[in-house]
Amino acid sequence: MSALIELRTVGKTFSGGKVALEDVSLALQEDQPRFIAVVGESGSGKTTLARLLLGMIEPTTGTVRYRGEDLAGLSGARRNAFRREVQAVFQDPYEVYNPFYRVDHVLTTPVRKFRLAATRTEGRGLIEAALRSVGLRPEEILGRYPHQLSGGQRQRIMVARALLLRPRLIVADEPVSMVDASLRATILSSLRRLHEEMRISILYITHDLATAYQVADSIIVLYRAAVAEAGHVERVVKAPLHPYTQLLIGSIPLVSTERSWVEDKPAAGRPGGAGCHFADRCPSAMDHCLSAAPSLFQVAPDHAAACFLRADAPALAEGALSSVLG
Amino acid sequence: MTVAARDMNDTILRVDRLRVAYDHPLGAVRAVDEVSFSLRPHERFGLAGESGSGKSTMSLAILRMIKPPGRIEGGEVWLGDIALSTLSADAMRALRLAGIAMVPQGSMNSLNPVVRIRDQIRDALADHGLTPGRRALDERVAGLLTQVGLPADVAGKYPHELSGGMKQRACIAIAICLRPKVIIADEPTSALDVVVQKQVMQTLGRVQQDLGAAIILVGHDMGLMAQFVDRLGIMYAGRLVEVAPIRTIITAPRHPYTRMLIDSLPSLDHRGGLRGIPGLAPLLRELPAGCAFHPRCPQAVERCRTEKPAVRPMGPDATVACHLA
Amino acid sequence: MRRYLRRNTSLMVGLVLLGLLALFMIVGALTVDTSNAQALSVPALQPPSWDYPFGTDRQGRDLLAVMVAGTPLTLRIGFIAGFFGVGIGAVLAFTAAYYRGWVDTVIRGVADIGLTVPGLLVLIIIAVSIKSLLTVNEMALIVASLAWLNPTRTIRSQVLTLRERGFVEIARLNGLSGPEIIFQELMPNLLPYLAATLVASVSSAILASVGLEVLGLGPVEAPTLGMTLYWVNFNAAIINGWWWWWLAPLVVILVVFLGLFFLTVGLDEIANPRLRRAA
Repeated sequence: MSALIELRTVGKTFSGGKVALEDVSLALQEDQPRFIAVVGESGSGKTTLARLLLGMIEPTTGTVRYRGEDLAGLSGARRNAFRREVQAVFQDPYEVYNPFYRVDHVLTTPVRKFRLAATRTEGRGLIEAALRSVGLRPEEILGRYPHQLSGGQRQRIMVARALLLRPRLIVADEPVSMVDASLRATILSSLRRLHEEMRISILYITHDLATAYQVADSIIVLYRAAVAEAGHVERVVKAPLHPYTQLLIGSIPLVSTERSWVEDKPAAGRPGGAGCHFADRCPSAMDHCLSAAPSLFQVAPDHAAACFLRADAPALAEGALSSVLG
Repeated sequence: MTVAARDMNDTILRVDRLRVAYDHPLGAVRAVDEVSFSLRPHERFGLAGESGSGKSTMSLAILRMIKPPGRIEGGEVWLGDIALSTLSADAMRALRLAGIAMVPQGSMNSLNPVVRIRDQIRDALADHGLTPGRRALDERVAGLLTQVGLPADVAGKYPHELSGGMKQRACIAIAICLRPKVIIADEPTSALDVVVQKQVMQTLGRVQQDLGAAIILVGHDMGLMAQFVDRLGIMYAGRLVEVAPIRTIITAPRHPYTRMLIDSLPSLDHRGGLRGIPGLAPLLRELPAGCAFHPRCPQAVERCRTEKPAVRPMGPDATVACHLA
Repeated sequence: MRRYLRRNTSLMVGLVLLGLLALFMIVGALTVDTSNAQALSVPALQPPSWDYPFGTDRQGRDLLAVMVAGTPLTLRIGFIAGFFGVGIGAVLAFTAAYYRGWVDTVIRGVADIGLTVPGLLVLIIIAVSIKSLLTVNEMALIVASLAWLNPTRTIRSQVLTLRERGFVEIARLNGLSGPEIIFQELMPNLLPYLAATLVASVSSAILASVGLEVLGLGPVEAPTLGMTLYWVNFNAAIINGWWWWWLAPLVVILVVFLGLFFLTVGLDEIANPRLRRAA
């Protein structure tokens, strides 16, 4: 059975030469709902990955396939079907609302366009149920304008919107980074609940490793357009293999009485060539790292890293990234 | 970063019952409500709060940079033994950067995009009556850049030629060029990634130590506070609800909001339930009666609904505003 | 509403001026005999008096009647041309800005070339080429032929910014098609801007038509404001000291333009929240 959505050796280079994503393959199966975190800094390619999966941009190389069909060629009914199954939540809870309309508009439109309900009342019932499932009270939300609600409320309405269509996959691109810390846990917990109760796959894109650790099962670490490390979240966070992941984890300020910020090991100081993207900052860079880009080496069934330090492990087969994600 | 015993009794900055209000067509809104705290020399003080807590207004208020429709309603800020409200506009301007400096959030907005870094420092010096000659200026700029860990060629560059972390360090260089006694860093790393954030914060810490200055770090990232500050103040709905040494805040917080805030933060130790604080922060113009936190507080009692808790000292370094603490 | 008007003085002044004009036209139509706006109706060259409050012209027209009859005609030309201009301009602008690509290049190219050509010159050439006597409606269409150029450009830039907003992406995720996004999501946000553009367009259409008329290229039989000024010129009224003849149309034109100008500024303030003065 073909995967629900699949990236096949997808690369994206923007006009002007900027390589946003290089040779990534990922397949998400319908019958195996997963909660995957994609972690990376700005420029790592994580937002490009999201937009490719959502069909908002087209890959420069490789194909994005929805149930076996190339996404670029889809239109009409097939495209509608894709929209129903793959939905999104974006970062900015202010921008995503049309200030001309009340917040109801963003919920009634999909009900109408995808014909989710036969009558107005039925549609209203669906909307109210969706709002309640993200912890909002419909009477406090419906009928209001976006500027009358808080960022956290607006973001939860967006999650409710994504839910309405009963998708198979929700791509959440930094859904809580513009929301207060005390609300982040609430919103992420509702995403987790959606995954567990309704068996929806969630792709949680973020720069915040701590929340990724708490809420996701597996994690992909992106660095400068390529996958640096991937695997089960316990392994990657507790025993990171890639020097970048180690740097990342070592830089996170922990809420603890121990001062965990240690001095970084200095880079082996060789600016990059065609090899590993991290070579110019890597304290363990070897000559080999400058000339060839490492592929993902599978160190354990649920842990792989793209680093020549792990070259003794078998290389992961092309397109098999999903297998280490549990 | 411990504070020497002899400094315990000195305060370099004292905020005394500061009140800031904004005039809104529907009525005045109190953004900062009787906030008091003191800062010792060499101390790192954090001011944490979420959106609507009033912390950003605080840093502007200390520098007396509140513009209409906001105004400082009352209270005082003392720098050493100078009461800032008694200063003329010119005297206050002279004090900014030389006495109290600010490292702002979003260096993109604070660096002039058409002026080279060297010239921005030169302008800052000139505003305070210092006009070194070309050689002296270059030396001074080079010294500042070294202090913040930037290469010397940054002096001739424009802001857009620098990365986010470098821009922020350039802002730090400008902030310290007149050797201020107090540095206010308002969310200095919010737009930066975690690795660069660490570098910038380490730079800030080093610079503060070299200068012997005190720092107020304003922000909402509790992890950052835990790693950087000596004492932390927590703001909620315009009030300073708790102040304590950072160790105490993390291990034994007294105010329920602090407690729930610490609990809601994701840890990297073990995966457990994520717990948020239910409810919403109140709108400043629709504050509940009594304690502003009581609608969300699991321990609220009748008194909390009617009587606003006063700020009470809890030892030499701590205060709390809660009936139950 | 009244409170807002007090803050938005331009809007208030504009509405008052245009209101006075409307009052003048309505009351005038009810009380003044507009047949006297035709030549040879009344004694010629009478200065203002109780019988003829605005005086009379050399061809024996009662100038008050001319103003009452002519103002609506001039305004009609302006409105027809203005609406046409913004109507066509908006359609082209939305299409170009939303779909981008070659559609945008073509529309933008035509508009840009059109804008570099001196508009009045083109209008003169068109007017001169029409051999038969012009009617007021034909006049309107001539002016309209060029009135869409500027609105296309300005509305296009507004739509370009708007289409990048997050809610457009959400609309796509919600299943809306291109035209649906244009009408349901983009256009409502531009209504204030479109209104301001419309008023500006009407204003420039009136200016263009008056310009053509003063040159003698307008509807000669109609007592429009511009035609009146043409006759003023033709008969050297200024040199001859028949001051009432040019004063009346001048004042009316002034009121029209000032009213439309203040209205545009006022609408602009609504459309662009950044222009609003802090409360």
